[in-house]
Amino acid sequence: MRLLVVEDDPDLNRQICAALTDAGYAVDKAFDGEEGHYLGENEPYDAVVLDLGLPKMDGISVLESWRRTGKQMPVLILTARDRWSEKVQGFDAGADDYVAKPFHMEEVLARIRALLRRSTGHASSELVCGPVHLDTRTSRVTVDGNPIRLTSHEYRLLSYLMHHTGRVVSRTELVEHLYDQDFDRDSNTIEVFVGRLRKKLGVDVIETIRGLGYRLSQPTHAP
Amino acid sequence: MRPSSLARRLFLTAAAITVIVLGLSGVVLSSLYRETAERALDRYLNVYLKNIVVDVATAQAGTIPEPTSLGELSFQTPNSGWYWQIERLSGPTSEMKFSTSLPSPGLPSLDEQRIPIRSDGFREGYVNGPQGQRLRVVENLIDLGADGQYVVTVAANIAETEEEIADFNWTLFITLSLLGIVFVATAWFQVRFGLRPLGRISQSLHAIRTGRAERLEGEFPAEIAPLAREVNALIDTNRDIVMRARTHVGNLAHALKTPLSVLLNETSGKKDATAEKVREQVAVMREQVQHHLERARIAARVAVPGTVVDVDSVIDGVVRTMEKIHRDRAVRITSHVEDELDFHGEEQDLAEMVGNLVDNACKWAKSRVEIRARAEPSAPSADRAFLRVIVDDDGLGLPAGARQEVLTHRGKRLDESKPGSGLGLSIVSDLAHLYQGRLELGASPAGGLRAELVLPAAES
Repeated sequence: MRLLVVEDDPDLNRQICAALTDAGYAVDKAFDGEEGHYLGENEPYDAVVLDLGLPKMDGISVLESWRRTGKQMPVLILTARDRWSEKVQGFDAGADDYVAKPFHMEEVLARIRALLRRSTGHASSELVCGPVHLDTRTSRVTVDGNPIRLTSHEYRLLSYLMHHTGRVVSRTELVEHLYDQDFDRDSNTIEVFVGRLRKKLGVDVIETIRGLGYRLSQPTHAP
Repeated sequence: MRPSSLARRLFLTAAAITVIVLGLSGVVLSSLYRETAERALDRYLNVYLKNIVVDVATAQAGTIPEPTSLGELSFQTPNSGWYWQIERLSGPTSEMKFSTSLPSPGLPSLDEQRIPIRSDGFREGYVNGPQGQRLRVVENLIDLGADGQYVVTVAANIAETEEEIADFNWTLFITLSLLGIVFVATAWFQVRFGLRPLGRISQSLHAIRTGRAERLEGEFPAEIAPLAREVNALIDTNRDIVMRARTHVGNLAHALKTPLSVLLNETSGKKDATAEKVREQVAVMREQVQHHLERARIAARVAVPGTVVDVDSVIDGVVRTMEKIHRDRAVRITSHVEDELDFHGEEQDLAEMVGNLVDNACKWAKSRVEIRARAEPSAPSADRAFLRVIVDDDGLGLPAGARQEVLTHRGKRLDESKPGSGLGLSIVSDLAHLYQGRLELGASPAGGLRAELVLPAAES
């Protein structure tokens, strides 16, 4: 899952990015409205954390512009201006949720999890595919109740596939959603990670669709 | 009329000047006419007098002739009011002759009135004649040398002239009175018409105060256009100041809350005493910032004449937002807003009050929240209209005692009340009071809390 954080305060930006990265997301950052607007317009983010008081272009304009050009990713607005009239304005501009400053980071993480879950059509914070369980709140993965230790890249891959269970996900899509923009992208590494993940899970849930990509589905036979 | 009214001053001045000028004109015209009438009568009498004098001068010496060429029958009719009299003062014989119209003993002398005889031998005056007639008398003293001195007198009743003068005066009075009435009416009309733009200004100001207008609209005459311009400029400046204050407050909020977020997050996950203290103090600062910023926002807008806000659109916006915020809870929000219901105040404040109430209701509701807004039936004596917003939920509600507690901030000064009521209701109550409205809490028929907001409505 790849996120964008648009926040002009360098400290807060760093804290949010660190917290999100720790939670297993690939995170891009922007420090002003124009940069944020450009990234949101051109990169396929799964969700955006958007501050409203931004230099160069305010958050509401950024959001409205995205929605006008058909960008549908969930957007969580961060705002110090927490009057209802401002919230109404934010939601009318296309926001999906808001967090008022000052906030606890857990609040932002919880809202982001909920937005991602909702945008991919899941009702619970625990994603299930056959014997594989992934708890988005704790970032814990179990197979038949046994915890599995995953590296952050492996976790991101599994999490993305589990959010999109049953759908064919191309390698390009995986590259776009698992790595932030500064990462040296090589789609061959995806194959390596898929291989390791299959080994660690020990169950055959990741199906390779030749020429198209991967699909996560209920295992057809027990290992 | 009101004390020190411009209209009254203008009107009274015009009326007083009219009365004085017309009154003086009346007096002057009347006396001029009287003079003219008397002079005409005198001229008439003098013609007769000269005829008689000629007769006397050409008469046989020692006799008093019968005037021949008068041609006026009135001199023969007894007590007609037209009389002549010739008296020889000295000479061979002293005798007197008078017209047949004059009864004996003739006319009273002008001597009694001490009217001196002029050097040309003439004098005029008034005497009381026979039967109480008031007579105008013209007298000529002629000296015929050896033939002796004669006094020739001609008199006429002035009743006729007086009658004419009275007629004239009456006509004059009627004319001037009518003229006066026309002038005063014109003055009244001028004052009313001339001062009408002032009335319009006062109506416009009332409209601004009651929120039906934002500025003085329309063309005003050159004399008061600067006033209207200045009032508009004042309104704009006032609005600017408030907008700026609000912007500053917003900026301050943003400027303070971001570092607070940073502080809070920097300590997250740490368990030592310093981190605990920082977290605790950040929480206090957050409350204080929130509380005092809210007060500052409120204070910034007290003096501004509010605008008219469509209640329906504000409630719609709040409902749209609530549906998104509370979409994970299966709460159905319905709203019924009466047509053409307008709030007199700031849109942000209405959104804040309704938003807090509905958000609160959504948090506690089991399955539904109902919002209704309607005009408050007002007493005929009330000078302002009110509207009522009712928010019902089907949650647990509040026991009567707790309801009171939530609203105990009522009546206290704003700076005394403590931040945070746990329900966000104290800020609603404070805002409502600021608008001379109120927040009432009760039990909803659906089982939960009913919050009723009474706010000023814009007069339509």
